[in-house]
Amino acid sequence: MANNPTMTPSAVKMESVNKWFDQFHVLKDIDLNVADGEKVVICGPSGSGKSTLIRCICKLEDHQRGTINVLGTELNEDVANIDEIRREVGMVFQQFNLFPHMTVLENCTLAQTLVRRTGRKQAEEIAMQFLEKVRIPEQSSKYPGELSGGQQQRVAIARSLCMNPKIMLFDEPTSALDPEMISEVLDVMVSLAEEGMTMICVTHEMGFARRVADRVIFMDEGEIVEQNDPHTFFENPTNERTKLFLSQIIQH
Amino acid sequence: MATATYQSPPKVPFWHTVKNNFFASPLDCIISLLCVVFFATIIYTIVDWAFLSSIWAAEDEPLCRDASGACWSVIDARHRIIFFGLFPYEEHWRSTLACVVMIATIVASCFPWFWSAIKLSTLWIAGFGTFYILMHGGLFGLSVITPERWGGLALTIFIFAAVSIIGMPLSILLALGRRSKLPVIAKMFGLFIDFFRSLPLLTILFTAAIITPFVLPDMLQGDKLYRVIAGFAIFFAAYQAENIRAGLQSIPTGQDEAGLTLGLGYWHRITRIQLPQAFRNSLPAIVNQFVITFKETSIVTIVGFFEILASGAAAYGTGVWTIHYIEVYVFIGLIYFIFVFSLSRYGAYLEKKLRVGHG
Repeated sequence: MANNPTMTPSAVKMESVNKWFDQFHVLKDIDLNVADGEKVVICGPSGSGKSTLIRCICKLEDHQRGTINVLGTELNEDVANIDEIRREVGMVFQQFNLFPHMTVLENCTLAQTLVRRTGRKQAEEIAMQFLEKVRIPEQSSKYPGELSGGQQQRVAIARSLCMNPKIMLFDEPTSALDPEMISEVLDVMVSLAEEGMTMICVTHEMGFARRVADRVIFMDEGEIVEQNDPHTFFENPTNERTKLFLSQIIQH
Repeated sequence: MATATYQSPPKVPFWHTVKNNFFASPLDCIISLLCVVFFATIIYTIVDWAFLSSIWAAEDEPLCRDASGACWSVIDARHRIIFFGLFPYEEHWRSTLACVVMIATIVASCFPWFWSAIKLSTLWIAGFGTFYILMHGGLFGLSVITPERWGGLALTIFIFAAVSIIGMPLSILLALGRRSKLPVIAKMFGLFIDFFRSLPLLTILFTAAIITPFVLPDMLQGDKLYRVIAGFAIFFAAYQAENIRAGLQSIPTGQDEAGLTLGLGYWHRITRIQLPQAFRNSLPAIVNQFVITFKETSIVTIVGFFEILASGAAAYGTGVWTIHYIEVYVFIGLIYFIFVFSLSRYGAYLEKKLRVGHG
């Protein structure tokens, strides 16, 4: 199982990335190559470093050793190129992180008008277009606090898409949701995947992984323990830790 | 009634509430009646003193000695001193107009329509400019009246408005500085804030009024009034900065991260995401600081300014009026009340307005 079997250019390329929180070694020699258009699902027990890994890709966290290359630009201390990268990489959080003092529409137009310098009218058109895509255009004038968790997460996805990102990162997007709202968010993610978006998702939704992932990665204690296509990963896991983890999350 | 409908909770008649809460037992009845009598007596005494047995016109002053109520004649006769202090008599219209302009500016900036940097700064530059030209003169044929002769309500409002308008941006700067990621900067701002918070306002005003002239070169001194306002503004900012910092700290880190991942720069994240939420979070404390500041303007008396309280003391300080200080203080109390109460009601309105959609 090679990381990047085809010749498609890589969207994200991590080489022996290491990160510490004080003395705690959270990421150990991570090598990861995500091709353009590839959908990767990362799973693993809590504290395994999976969220930290994707947070490093949009530089919400700094890594201390190794190189991370996103869309051909290396992430270093150069501020200008960090902002440039962040515009190209969308991030969806577990806690939605919508701006509570702005309406849904304002949440979606803010970065467009400030960062992309899009005119207000055009920004609103783009926002409505993506709100329709996540199926809540009728909520555009409401405040996030008036929406359900599932609706808020869909707004958060639309907000990221408004910036026209080339890569979407999802950090446990359904973990904070009530069970009946999980599928409405996953449906949006599936349709996004079908359109060819490059996606890296930290999630425990194994049904989603089976359906859309090109590759499933299992992390434990800061390492990539096993990675494979979903079928092989779920049917014939090789590593003992993977087997244990899968038995724990699938037994219900 | 087999088919009861439960569309709304059953209404409890008002009289039942009263009866159950205040007249449930004989002892309750006695306590309630005693309270009613007690408060009725107090209210009647006040109404009788202020309205029923009071004397109103200035020329009726001789009647005051036999009247059991308030002698409002003192206000009728001396209100100009209370409102204008030592401002020259024939120029009182200028002080009145200046007051109106300043109050209008404050009221206008309370409307959300003015809430943009450009509109607010235009409004305040125009407001202060007009106030200064009216009060100080020297332009358009107005005679020059230097700040040491300003006084009364105009001075109180001017000091309050100037302290607020200088102090507010300064407090934001201090709060942001104290939260800087660079430890040296954060420590320096922290030290600055804590230094000024640990000094009494009186000390700061004395220093500004009396000691700085020895330290600063002449050209930097400015008038005593402006030095006092500058000192007051720093004091205000040190406290307000801590209120704003509290508001900033209660924002989840995810908010800033969301801004970061959308590619927003530092100032956009601060002005569009952090500050609006910080203001909402600590609005009660922020309004409280304004209320305290309005009342603390009376302290400038001590460095020789005739703001409204000192002017009041001057108003009852001569001749037949010396015995009527209660009326004067009640009147000034009423003026303070109008301003401070409006301020807190506005705070309550803002809280309600900003709570939209926050459940």
